[in-house]
Amino acid sequence: MASPAQTLAFLREVRLFKNIAEPELGTLAATLRERNLKRGQVLVREGEAGEEMFVVLRGSMVISKAVTGRVEQVLARIGPGDFFGEMSLFDRSPRSATVQTDSDATVLVLDREAMRRLTEISPRAAAAFFHALVQVFIERLRASGDLVAEVTRWGLEATGLDMDAR
Amino acid sequence: MSDTQATPTPQRRAKLELLVRHDGDDGFDVHQVGSATAFVQSRPQRVAVESWELAEMPSRMAGQPSYILKNTVTDRFLLLTEPEKFLWEQMDGHTSLQEIATAYVLRYGAFDFDIIPVLMRKLQRAQLLTLTPTSRLRQALARNRRRPLVKAIETGFTALERINISSRNVQRVFSAMYRFGGFLLFTPAGVTVCLALAVAGLVAGVRLWREGGDIVAGFGGHALRAVLMVKLLFFATVAAHQIVHGLALVHYRRRVREFGFTFLHGFVPTFYVDVTDIFMTSRRARVVTAVSGAMVHLVLGSAWFIVALFSPLGSFTQAFAAASGMLQWQAFIVALYPFCFIEMDGYHVLVDVLGTPTLKQEAMSWFGSLVRRAAPRQFGRQEALWAGYVVLSTISVAAFIAFNVMLIVHASS
Repeated sequence: MASPAQTLAFLREVRLFKNIAEPELGTLAATLRERNLKRGQVLVREGEAGEEMFVVLRGSMVISKAVTGRVEQVLARIGPGDFFGEMSLFDRSPRSATVQTDSDATVLVLDREAMRRLTEISPRAAAAFFHALVQVFIERLRASGDLVAEVTRWGLEATGLDMDAR
Repeated sequence: MSDTQATPTPQRRAKLELLVRHDGDDGFDVHQVGSATAFVQSRPQRVAVESWELAEMPSRMAGQPSYILKNTVTDRFLLLTEPEKFLWEQMDGHTSLQEIATAYVLRYGAFDFDIIPVLMRKLQRAQLLTLTPTSRLRQALARNRRRPLVKAIETGFTALERINISSRNVQRVFSAMYRFGGFLLFTPAGVTVCLALAVAGLVAGVRLWREGGDIVAGFGGHALRAVLMVKLLFFATVAAHQIVHGLALVHYRRRVREFGFTFLHGFVPTFYVDVTDIFMTSRRARVVTAVSGAMVHLVLGSAWFIVALFSPLGSFTQAFAAASGMLQWQAFIVALYPFCFIEMDGYHVLVDVLGTPTLKQEAMSWFGSLVRRAAPRQFGRQEALWAGYVVLSTISVAAFIAFNVMLIVHASS
């Protein structure tokens, strides 16, 4: 288990928390829970309810979305410093994808209540957090667009469809 | 393309990363699936058996038969080589492309890596697999639609293309026309009368030629109006041309599927008749159908020349009739002469006889590679045919332009 100082040092390097001042970051770090996972363990399952977001402290994880039967499409592979599940902080919709470790891993858990407290105690820190989050959302939205285009290209190439000739 | 030009880097093939779960636990494997792998494992499915017909076309040129594949739902036709027909027969939805390619190698002893993708594109265009095509002009416009002018042209073409006055219920009309006199065109007597008229028209035309200047003077100061009238009347005879094609179909007991008026590619006003059903009959029937339409112009041209010959010298009637006759005869020649880069009736007869349905495209492609110095050095029978087509067509087009210039000069002087 990481010491509070190690956790704080780690959070300073996480993009989401970079612009939060030291005292507020320390307060936030104290609210985070650490969770250890075995290789192959499913942390978040698509369709289930959830109220937490996660920051990967150690190890690597696979984010996938069901396609058909036992087959899922890999959306991303994430490692230390990456985070996921942030949508559940804002809405109560079911999880949009499954997250599973592909090595032993440790994640830091930030729940909705901790987020609410941060907003109340330090609006400035919350604003810095949300600003960073919006930037990440934008990047992920763009990446989703690219993924759709890539999957479409894959489909065209795989089926031999000739759209140029149309 | 010059030899020194850098070869473009081929585009990276797309890959999908898929997670496949184990049975009974949360274990999984991740596989990268390339589009190329998926392509060779795909199982192309042709349309339902009641939606297509296949007919054989013997070839005198290549020694191998060709095949007409028809989509009976859309009435689209496709010419297939024997190997393509073999591949088509394999596309049953159960056999993967990899298995089809293996079967091809076992049968023919060699494999051309392009043959399957090329065939699939052809099938898609004919809606025998999926998708529909558009003209090359429209493709070019679509590629450049960011430019406002191109966008405006494309919008205009789209609007014009929507103008289609046609009927798919015309078989009864054509059958009635055939019964009430149309059949005469396909009797020995009818053919003899047409030929006699052609000879008489030729004689009249030669006699009129000597008085060209006086005849054109008959237009007086209304040359532009007269030319427009001649063109308009000629346009009406294009409908007659198409009607005779349709009568030929009835003569050979095939079905006229559609007759109408549209703007071809969005800007060429034209009458049309769907004669594709004739592909299911003999070569003789196809040739007669192609030639019969053009005969309209020969007969009408001759009739106009005879009218001109017997009209008062220098009158408007004579000038109008002579100009109409000349236009009709030119239309007859353009329709039947195959070497002019235009795929008219004569061209279709030629490629039918040769058994090389894509003669123009192949010849132009070969000539293009010759200009770029990318053509193979071999010069066999096929290359001689392509060279002959390109050379004859170039000379013919030049001669046609020269003749018209001479005609104008002769009339003006």
